[in-house]
Amino acid sequence: MNQAVISCLHANLPAVEAVLKDIELQGITNITCLGDLVGYGPQPNEVIELIRDKEIPTCQGCWDEDVVDGLDACDCSYPSQLAEKRGHFAHQWTTDKLTTENKDYLANLPYSIRKDKCLFVHGSPNSQHEYLLPDMDAFAALERVENARAEILFCGHTHQPYIRELADGSIAVKIKNAVPKDTQEKEIQLPMRRIVNAGSVGEPRHGGTKATYVVYNDVTNEVKIREVEYDIELTCKAIIDAGLPPIFAWRLKNGFEFAEQAEDASHVCER
Amino acid sequence: MIERWALVSGLKGDLDTYELIQKDLKKTPGNITLFVLGDMIGPEKNCNRLLHRLINPKSNDLQPWCIYGWWEEQILLESGYRGDQRAEALRINKGEEVVKSLTNAVDKSFLDWIAALQFGFVELDCGLIHGSSKDVGENLTLDTPPLTLLDRLTRLQVNRLFTARSKQQFHLELTEGIVNSEVEDLNGNRKKEQKVPQKAVIGIGAGKNYTLYDVGTDNTQFVQAGYKTEKRIKGFGRL
Repeated sequence: MNQAVISCLHANLPAVEAVLKDIELQGITNITCLGDLVGYGPQPNEVIELIRDKEIPTCQGCWDEDVVDGLDACDCSYPSQLAEKRGHFAHQWTTDKLTTENKDYLANLPYSIRKDKCLFVHGSPNSQHEYLLPDMDAFAALERVENARAEILFCGHTHQPYIRELADGSIAVKIKNAVPKDTQEKEIQLPMRRIVNAGSVGEPRHGGTKATYVVYNDVTNEVKIREVEYDIELTCKAIIDAGLPPIFAWRLKNGFEFAEQAEDASHVCER
Repeated sequence: MIERWALVSGLKGDLDTYELIQKDLKKTPGNITLFVLGDMIGPEKNCNRLLHRLINPKSNDLQPWCIYGWWEEQILLESGYRGDQRAEALRINKGEEVVKSLTNAVDKSFLDWIAALQFGFVELDCGLIHGSSKDVGENLTLDTPPLTLLDRLTRLQVNRLFTARSKQQFHLELTEGIVNSEVEDLNGNRKKEQKVPQKAVIGIGAGKNYTLYDVGTDNTQFVQAGYKTEKRIKGFGRL
């Protein structure tokens, strides 16, 4: 059966509506959301209420956590002080706009959702703030899936959709100073695992302007990345009207990167 | 001259053991650097004499290079050095009495020195820490999955990781690791074969059991203070 996985909606209502329409047109009713319903975008309450109304199972993203608990991401989450300032402004704006009911909803979202062999998280099984980038160290990536006792790990947070298969792995282990000799060495076969990043519905950072999500078939194990066009102008106008930083609209419209993300994929925020 | 590191942990206030180790090291050939990888303090005995000696070495002592360990983390938590957090894990697992014993075992005048200690050292391509690069309280042992060990090495970007938390002595090498990675994204597909250069995780022991590491040859010797140097017998499985 096909199921859709969406992530990083970022209060971009036109993008969310377009993606949900695309999912509906494919006849998919099983949807999982990987969080970051809010942040950057101008319609946080509307997006939360849409996801709530449709009863879409959702993990808590880093923005969802931060607007509830206060900023706890360290400076490493931002590539520059300017980006940090913009992020903090959007955080405060979002916190001020959200209704108490919607804050409670975000506060009670789970960190992860497990369905059979699949684990759904926002960033990584370690933290909502950890980036699993597509080309991060393969052994570290495999460790994230394996230690989470999953076969497929669905994540978001990077805003870059990808499917990564880690296969045919092995490690030889040797104990120095060991006797008897026959217990000194062994080779351990590593399991085949996959990481699927759903990209971002509301804040794409893949070089284009289209919203992305993924469709997973749990029978064939096939995963497809979907790109969806939406009315970007509508979102951009709402960003400007709301008084949010104009760069948020500019980068949506131009499909440019300027991502507020850490370069060190292995970093785990300790705050 | 041979360069050696002496790696010590888990003294927990035991000045006699520390003096025994210092005595041993004076007889050990080579240019020795002494690292104390945490747990200088503990709840069992008064730690002030040992702390004073570590901070103010005797003229013929090897200078100790110290980092903080799990017990130091507990006293810093309990003493308000970590914001609003307190040593709740210790309190729940060991009880209020142990929390009190710990705070009574260390004079408050030492807390600033403890708080200034680093999480670990990176020397050459080696990481020297108490637990792991993920957590000061993490036990790395022979039974830890190799993927986890590789991850802890990767986090510090080192090839050797010296750890003390498990109290065990072992030298585990990870060699010939390989994994094939295939990424599909909006730009297409790319494949990559990733290999692991030889890496190792070394458990240094605790208390009287410490480790000598020969920097030039990458050899370890597991030593018990007061006894002659010996190579320990270890195998897979629980110790």
